[in-house]
Order: sequence, then structure tokens, then C-alpha cells
Amino acid sequence: MSDDRSTDESAVQPDGGHASRPLAEPTSKQSTLRRFFTRDDLPPYGALRRWLLTTNHKDVGVLYVVTALLFLVFGGVLALLMRIELLTPVGDFLSADGYNQTVSTHGLIMVFWFLSPFAFGFANYIVPLQIGAKDLAFPRLNALSYWLYLFSGILLGLSFFQGGSFSGGWTMYAPLSVPNYMPQIGSTTTILALTLFVISVTVSSVNFLTTMHRMRAPGLTLRRMPLFTWSILLTVWMMLFAFAALLAALLILSSDRILGTTYFTAEGTPGSLLWTHLFWFFGHPEVYIVFFPALGAMAEMFQTFTGRRLVGRKWFIVSMLLVALQSFLVWMHHMFLTSINLQIKTLFMITTIGISLPFDLMVFSLIYTMVKGRLRFTTPFLFAFGSLFVFIIGGITGVFLGAVVLDYQLRGTYWVVAHFHYVMVSGVMALVGALYYWYPKLTGRMYNRRLGKLSFWLFFAGFNLLYFPMFIAWETPRRVFDYPAELTGFHQLATVGGFLLGFAFLLVIWNCYRSLWDGETVSSNPWAHATTAEWAIPSPPPLENFPGMPSYESGSLDFLDRETASTDGGTVTKPTPSSHDGHDSHASPWPLGISIGSFVLFLGLSGVATGGIYVPITIVGGGLLAVTLLGFGLESFSVTEPAVAERWPFAGIENGKLGVWIFLASDIVLFGAFVGSYVFLRAGYGWEAWKIVPHNPIPGLINTYILLTSSFCVVLALVAAQKGRRWGVVAGLTTTLLLGIAFLINKGIEWIELFHHNIWLSTDVQASTFFLTTGLHGLHVVLGLVIVLYMIPRALNGAYLDDERPVEYFGLYWHFVDIVWLFLFPLFYIL
Amino acid sequence: MANTKLYTVIYVVLFVFATAQVAIEGMSLGFELAVGLIIGLSVVKAVLVAGYYQHLFTEPRSVTYVVLSGLLTALALTFAASYSIT
Repeated sequence: MSDDRSTDESAVQPDGGHASRPLAEPTSKQSTLRRFFTRDDLPPYGALRRWLLTTNHKDVGVLYVVTALLFLVFGGVLALLMRIELLTPVGDFLSADGYNQTVSTHGLIMVFWFLSPFAFGFANYIVPLQIGAKDLAFPRLNALSYWLYLFSGILLGLSFFQGGSFSGGWTMYAPLSVPNYMPQIGSTTTILALTLFVISVTVSSVNFLTTMHRMRAPGLTLRRMPLFTWSILLTVWMMLFAFAALLAALLILSSDRILGTTYFTAEGTPGSLLWTHLFWFFGHPEVYIVFFPALGAMAEMFQTFTGRRLVGRKWFIVSMLLVALQSFLVWMHHMFLTSINLQIKTLFMITTIGISLPFDLMVFSLIYTMVKGRLRFTTPFLFAFGSLFVFIIGGITGVFLGAVVLDYQLRGTYWVVAHFHYVMVSGVMALVGALYYWYPKLTGRMYNRRLGKLSFWLFFAGFNLLYFPMFIAWETPRRVFDYPAELTGFHQLATVGGFLLGFAFLLVIWNCYRSLWDGETVSSNPWAHATTAEWAIPSPPPLENFPGMPSYESGSLDFLDRETASTDGGTVTKPTPSSHDGHDSHASPWPLGISIGSFVLFLGLSGVATGGIYVPITIVGGGLLAVTLLGFGLESFSVTEPAVAERWPFAGIENGKLGVWIFLASDIVLFGAFVGSYVFLRAGYGWEAWKIVPHNPIPGLINTYILLTSSFCVVLALVAAQKGRRWGVVAGLTTTLLLGIAFLINKGIEWIELFHHNIWLSTDVQASTFFLTTGLHGLHVVLGLVIVLYMIPRALNGAYLDDERPVEYFGLYWHFVDIVWLFLFPLFYIL
Repeated sequence: MANTKLYTVIYVVLFVFATAQVAIEGMSLGFELAVGLIIGLSVVKAVLVAGYYQHLFTEPRSVTYVVLSGLLTALALTFAASYSIT
């Protein structure tokens, strides 16, 4: 089924024009490793090689689920260590710093490395099936997302062995997070691990958005889309923008720790407040990013096990949409105890009350669906129902925190801990239900029903025994291991609940594991009332999912012969040059390679400021990353865009270009957060009292001229490609390369002169913002030049004459870099 | 799409506007007026590059909305955060 380079030479790269070459037959000795990583037919499930090379969305989905469960065990063990410590009101089990590390990494692992990836395991597996796609739009990027996620988690684990992991709480508040207070290298590693995770998330967001907007089966309009897929669509839009703000925060924090900038510690500016703004601008949407997939899965399970369509389905979707939008307008309710002004606190109290209203509607919709339907208390439904129950408690107790005066009292106490877990772990409960719900589809076998129900009751009892006493013992200070002795009983109850909940999780995992062999085999649809597309195909589904082209044009799901598919409601596009016999590639070694390179590079960066072994590690990582990226670029990998699909509202633009635009939208938020940080710090410092760092605007003006000219050259290269002029393309790209180098040299001269005047990144906050923001822009220029360097030899071979899209895509990026400079220049050189 | 003359005119305009921004800084205008003019020119330049060089004017309008969503997100963070400390 899969692409085979050695036999199929018609395969071409998506970036155009690079015909694959047959591989030289490896000789016996050198070949073992090489053969292992060489693509051919996708190996069977039992082979390790399959799991290292696969790009198929279902395999990647399984990898996500299994890895997330491993991180659940990691985070769970840390939680139990905390609960053992809290059996008594004094610290007698863990050291003070050990407890801080345990609390911090438990939060980080559960929020980042367990909950969202667990949900995205299902999203990977189920969303393409529900929308009628063969795979995601960019399968290699999907595998890359997974491997970056895994290695970011390994990096986090390693941080414990570098003098201690991060110990400042999962919110990483500044200035506690800077080296003065947290000097160990492991803290920097944790921050870099999270940065790597965010890169994985961004790649994934671009991929899912392109897929869901461009690859839906004919007739599957957005309105008809299944609720789980709807929830993922909105989740991914939130992820795209929210994680970009977090990336900015993490890059700045990394810079403060590694390069010595002073964003979060400078005197005279509200540096610590800047962190809270950046973090919570991400952090509140993150609550819904984590919860929405669970909500979508709940909606699916409620429909299936009540045997009826969700009551008010349209309003349920509208409510989710409203919450997704409003989630970016409530972040300051996490900052009521800071020095922000009362007017903005009042405004954000109102927006916070506002966001609870669509949730009310969704809860009523789920309840009324139960009232109108006939309940079937299967294991998945028990978990979904339990989730709704505890979510209501979590939601109501959260409203207290949205009120300014109550928040003054409750913030920093176990009320927040209890509320937070009632919301977050209700999401986990729904996702465990989803695991049981889709388990037959993933494995072709049914779980053990009796163990399933037992696991629910233990889970439900353990959950409430763990978290409900925290509401009663709310006066316990958060993140601190000693507390008033009269609250000891409640904490001991909570510890018992914690162990019960941990046992329930193990039972779930055991049930899933054993049922792989012992479970009864199931048909394509073991649930009588499940109606979404994944239940219309075998369990587990075949490699390319569907027996024909899925279509909803008749009002229900049909599989059409590909030749006779009509175009009503869909958009017909010519098959892309990469299609060959309708079969796509499903394996690549490069996503794993790039992730290993990134892992080594980030590990090196964590201690590079201290020198020693970390310097060569950084160099090796950088080299490995460069080689694997080149391999990725040169690889022949075939992906077919569906000829007919529902593509509103992006019908007139191909997958690749839409992917670039979506990525750029995320980059706008990244740069926006950097510029926003500058504006914020300058506003706090006094706008006119702030001194401009460069002594002279002329070097900046020259660089503006250079970048504008390079943008013009890229446009000319595109025009030449469209007209089939090879040398025009080469000249345009080469001039761009030279101008980019000139830009960097000019910038280098300017920086060296500033260094000679004893102005460094660490001199003051003005210098920090100047060097870091223009440095980030310079890094974008460097990345652009690497791409041009890759494109020029290919242009010499005439690669872009038949297909100029790669030149256009590069241009979109390069012009964006130009536009960013058009704002950095006046902000940092003139005003 | 391939309109070299139009692209050249835009390039010249961008060049002139960049020079004008530095010239404005050298004039003795009030601070607010200078800021308004200089940022205004940057906005015009950005719209020209995005509209013509990145072809946003001829792409489906939905792509522009994606870009504007990112921009709006960044602006919301910048202005609300800055206002919160006034």
C-alpha cells in the first residue's frame, strides 16, 4: 500500500519538482541500520520499525495515547508523593525543594504532557475518519509533532538529573523563575522542554486546521460535522494563538536564564507582571484547550448511549464557538491579586461571568439529551456521565474565583486546587470514557465490561474522596507542605482518595492491555446507536481508511467510486503532481531524526552558558538537526490531496499555502507578544523616559532598504518562475540570499559597536528588549536564508519552472519577515 | 498575477515611505503626531507588502481573516496589558 522509492519513481515531493531517485542497494554490513530506517512497505504492527517510521494518522494516534498514559503514570507518581507528604501537617517525607519540584513537575506533566496529548491521540485517530479523509494533510509533520512531544517529555525527565528540576510551580511565576532564585540547570531544561513541546503543538495545529478545513468529504459541511471533530477544530484554533503567546513567554524566560536579559527582573519596570500577562493570556484558553476535546467526546457518547441526537445541537456548537472566542478575553481574572487597576479587574470579572453562560447552555443540552433519550449505562457512558456531574461542581466553584472580592480571599488556597482539579480531572474522566468508547475501533476487540464498570466506580469514588475534602480544607495554603493541624483529617482522606484514584487508573490501563488478547472481537460498530463515520468501516480500519470516496451528499454516508464522484457542494481540484496511483506514502525516518536532533540541541542549550560538556552537545545537536532537516527536505514523500472535498471557507487555496498562512498567523502572535512585551515594559517605565538603544537610526534604515529590496527580488523570482525563466528564478533567489547576508552583516556591525560601548543584553531592560526582539527577527532571517540556500541549486536544475508554488510559499514567509521589520524599525530605532 | 511594473512601483513607494519615517523623526513635530505618522506609514507599508507581494488582495478573503485574527489577538494582549498598569 505504501510508497516505495525503489519501485515507484513517479513520486515527487510536495515542494515540487524533485523526482525521487532509486536508492543504491546497500551492502550487507553497512546496510543493517540503513535498511532499518529505509522506507518500504509499512511493516506489520508487531515490528518496532513500524512505530519508528510510521506517518499514518492511526498509528500516530495510538502512539500519542500510549505515551500520554506513560506520562500519566509519571505525573501520578509525583502526585502520590505529594499526598504522602501531606498526610501530616509538617514536612517529614520530602525535602522542601523536593516538594517544590514535585508540585511543579506534576502540574506541568499533567497539563502539558498528559491531558492534551491524550486527547490528541483520539483526535489523530478519529478526526480523519469522521471527516472522511485518508490521513492528515501533512503526515510527516504529524509524525514530527508526536516525536517532538515524546522527546520534550524525555528532556523534562532528564531535568531531575541536572541539579534538580523546575521548582517554581506550573505557572512559572517571575521573578522566582530566574537564575537568582532558581540557579540549577535542570530548571532551564524544564523551560526548554516546554518550548520544544510548544513547537510540537504549533506544528500539529497547522496540520489539523489545514486538514479539517480542506479535506472534508463532499457534503460534510461544517454544520454537519460531528461534535467531537467540532470540538477539536475549535481547540486547535485556540491552540494556534494561545501557544504562540506561551512560546514568546518561554523564549524570553529562556533568554533571561541563558543570555542574561533582564525582562522579568529589571527594576523600574513591571517585569514580573509581564510574565503573568503572557502566561495567563495563554493559560486561560489552555483550560478550554484541555477541556474541549473531552466535551466533544462526551457529546458523542451522550448521543450514542441515549440513542438520540444531542438536544440543541446547533446551539451547543454556537456555545463552543463563543467560549473559544471569549477564552481570550478573561485572562486577567487570574491576576486579581496583582497591582493591575480596578477598572480592568471589574471588566474581566464581567467577561468571566460572561464565559460561564455558554457553558450553562452546553450543560443543559447534555442533561436534556439524557431526559429525552433512553440511557444505556455502558462503561463509556458512566465515565461521560460522571464527568458531567463533577464538571458542574467544578464550574460552580470556579464562579466564586471570578468575583474580585471572593478571589482576594480564595486565591492561593486549596479552594483553587480543588476547583481546578474538579474541572481538569472531569476532562480526564470523559477522556477515559472516550478510551473505552473508541477502544473497539482502535483494537477490533471489546474491553472487559465488568472490569470497566469497576474501574469507573473506583475512579469516581477515588476522585471525590481526593478532591472534595480540599473544598472543606480550603484554608490550606496552596503549594506549601505544612498546614494547620486541625485540617489533618481532611488531607488524610484526600491521600486515601489519591491512592484509590491511582489504582483506578491502573485498572483502566490493565483492562485495555489484557483485552488486546482476551477481549471478544467486535464488528465495525459495536454500539447500536453510533452514527459517525468511523463506525461504518472495519475495526481497526484499513491503512487508507475507506473502501471508496466517502460522501454525505445524499444526506447520509456513502462510499462512492472515485471516478464517478459528483461535485455538488464540493470543489474539484486537479490531482496534485505528487499523486500516483492514488496511494500515499506512510513512512519516513526523518520526523524521528529531527526530533532527536532537536532534543540533543535543547539539552546542550540548557547548560551552554556554563560551558563544559554542554557546548559540544549543542554543536552535535545543531549539526544533527541540520542534517535531518536536509534529509526531510530531500525525501520523496507522496501525499494526495482529495480531488473532491468540502473546503469552505478555504476553497480557493491549496493545502500547502493554507498551511503556510496558518503558521504565519501563529508567528504574528509570537512577534506580537514580543512587541507587546516591549510596549508594556516601556509603558510601565515611562514612554518618553525610555532611551532608544541604537545611537543612530541609519543602520536600521539601511537594513530596511535591504529587506525591502530582497522582498522585491523574491517577487521577481516568482514572476520568472511563472514565466518559465530559469535564470530569472536563480537570479532572484541568489540576490535575496546576498541581501539577507548583507542584512545580517549590517546588524552584526551595529551590535559589535554597541558591545564596544559596553551595551550588552544584560545592561538594562532597554538593551534586553532591543537585542532579543531584533535577534528573534534576525533568527527568522537566518532560517529564511537556509531555505533559499536549499532552493537555489534546485532552481538551477529547473525545479520551479513547472511548479512555482515553493517559490511562492517561501515568498510568503520572507515578506512576513519584511513586514515585521517594518514595525521593529520605527519602534526600536526612531520612536 | 505577474505584474512586474506594479511590483516595481510598490517597491519605490516602500522605499520612499521608509525614508520619510526617518525624516519625520528629524522634524520638530509633537511626539504624538510623530508617533502617529511614523506608525501610520508602517501600517501602509505592511498593507502594501501583504496585499500585493503576498497577494492577500487576490486570495480568498478568509485568508485575510486568518491573518487579522492573529493580529487582533496580539493587539488585544498588547493594549489590555498596557492599560492594566495605567
